Amino acid sequence: MTWTVVARKEFEDTIRSRWLIGLSVLFALLVGAAVYVTSLIFGSGGSTLSSTEVLRAFPIKDGIVTTLIPLVALVAAYNAVVGERESGSLKLLLALPHSRADVVAGKVAGRGAALAVAVVAGFLLPALVFVFSSTFAFEAVAYVQYVFLVALLAAAFVAVGVGVSAAVSSDRLAIAAAVGVYLVFVALLGAVQGSLGLFATFVGWPEWMPLTVQQTTRVLRLVNPTGAFKIVTNRALGTGLFTGPDVRLQISGLVMLVAWVVIPPLAGLIRFEEMDL
Amino acid sequence: MDAIALRGVTKQFGDVTAVDGLDLAVPEGEVFGFLGPNGAGKSTTINMLLDFVRPTSGEIQVLGRDAQRESVAVRQRTGVLPEGFDCYSRLTGRTHVEFAMESKGVDGDPVELLERTGIADAADRKAGGYSKGMRQRLALAMALVGRPQLLILDEPSSGLDPSGAKEMREIVRAEAERGTTVFFSSHVLGQVEAVCDRVGILRGGSIVAEDSMDGLRDAVGGGERLVVDVTDDAATVDLSAVRALSGVTSAEAVDGEVVVSCDADAKTAVVGAVEDGGATVENFRTEEASLEDLFLAYTEGDEPREVRQ
Repeated sequence: MTWTVVARKEFEDTIRSRWLIGLSVLFALLVGAAVYVTSLIFGSGGSTLSSTEVLRAFPIKDGIVTTLIPLVALVAAYNAVVGERESGSLKLLLALPHSRADVVAGKVAGRGAALAVAVVAGFLLPALVFVFSSTFAFEAVAYVQYVFLVALLAAAFVAVGVGVSAAVSSDRLAIAAAVGVYLVFVALLGAVQGSLGLFATFVGWPEWMPLTVQQTTRVLRLVNPTGAFKIVTNRALGTGLFTGPDVRLQISGLVMLVAWVVIPPLAGLIRFEEMDL
Repeated sequence: MDAIALRGVTKQFGDVTAVDGLDLAVPEGEVFGFLGPNGAGKSTTINMLLDFVRPTSGEIQVLGRDAQRESVAVRQRTGVLPEGFDCYSRLTGRTHVEFAMESKGVDGDPVELLERTGIADAADRKAGGYSKGMRQRLALAMALVGRPQLLILDEPSSGLDPSGAKEMREIVRAEAERGTTVFFSSHVLGQVEAVCDRVGILRGGSIVAEDSMDGLRDAVGGGERLVVDVTDDAATVDLSAVRALSGVTSAEAVDGEVVVSCDADAKTAVVGAVEDGGATVENFRTEEASLEDLFLAYTEGDEPREVRQ
């Protein structure tokens, strides 16, 4: 098993990508700006504001993280395998004693780690502000949990991107699939959840459905990595992770996020194993 | 033991047959030149040795192992210079070689290998700025990592200037002296002639000739050709007497002239026999016949088959 060697090379290669650097800087600037704006709005009146309250405010939690992180992760991952196939560097890689499984696993781990570094970097400056400014109270546990979960969300989308990249035969197909993944998970599923609620309220939920509208909405939230992320982080930034009446739902959310890291690359690998390069 | 053994290997891409029932054996320690025009199926064959491409049928063993099921073990002991590859443009030459070393689990100084292939001074530059020739040298340095038992070089001279191609041959020779089996492909005979023990010529996905370099030189027939210019149409001349002479390999009418491959001391007898055949000899000259002619005869026939590489 040489996937760790591939992962290290991937990490070094990805961390030097202009796209990743550019989007990470944008991410850090947006988080920084959101922290600043939130503190202006809620921090007036001399009372101290906790870092958790700032993170929980709409601009960061829903405005930036769940829209930008999937985008950055997919950009970093969509051409991981197929791009190397088209350029020919995959021949250099597979001329060395790596199996195709090593390549896919190394890509997920290396690019996921590069994204994690970008995420940590994006949240580092706000953390310093929280620690050293007297207007804020820094709640370290919730903050670290949140940053870890953002990195996990990024890893899930990296894994989806790598899985797609291993399965398709051209760069263009990979881009199309990545755009589709983004639209479904970031926009479409959320919209469907919302309209199901409206439908149930105004038209009525059909009797023949095996699940109630709440159950259906919950399933839709769970299967969507950004939905699962929101389930878990709402608690992490609320009463605390694994507390409250929905502990089982939080565990399911966490398991779903991990499943997204593992299953799409395996599915992509099955296709990749059969291919002629 | 054979370092490379292919038995009845066929590869089809859709309805195009790239490799057609190929049988080939390369013994350990040999330098084997895999020749053929572009599109003959050379790269497809090499890609099958490395499990980049899976054969439609047939059996492939490399270093005594199944090329498909045990590919990682094969590549652990093989150094590869692929064709149509690219480097990682954001990583330096040194990082590339270090990556190859870590992948094979061997220690060593990357710069030493880069020195051997002549790009040590560019070791710390990003490979994105390398020329085609430098990328070729970088990939060769990666191929030499871990003292491989087998070197597979696909068109190694492409992108290299003549002196670079010469250095490449010197490295091949040095590796062969160490006992490494070398399998390398080329569409130009001149690049393999000086270093190969044996060559196989591939065309339309099958081997059309396989011989030692000495055997090929013999086939050229002492290395000389006699061209006899006759007043009449050469096609009307009876050449059976010429062909019957000792020292004559072949005699043909080509473009109104009689072309005879023969030993140098048979020339006088040949001219006499042509006249006996009913022709008036106007003039004659000798031409050096080269392996290149032979190679071209094998690879540039009338019916070039369309084959995807």
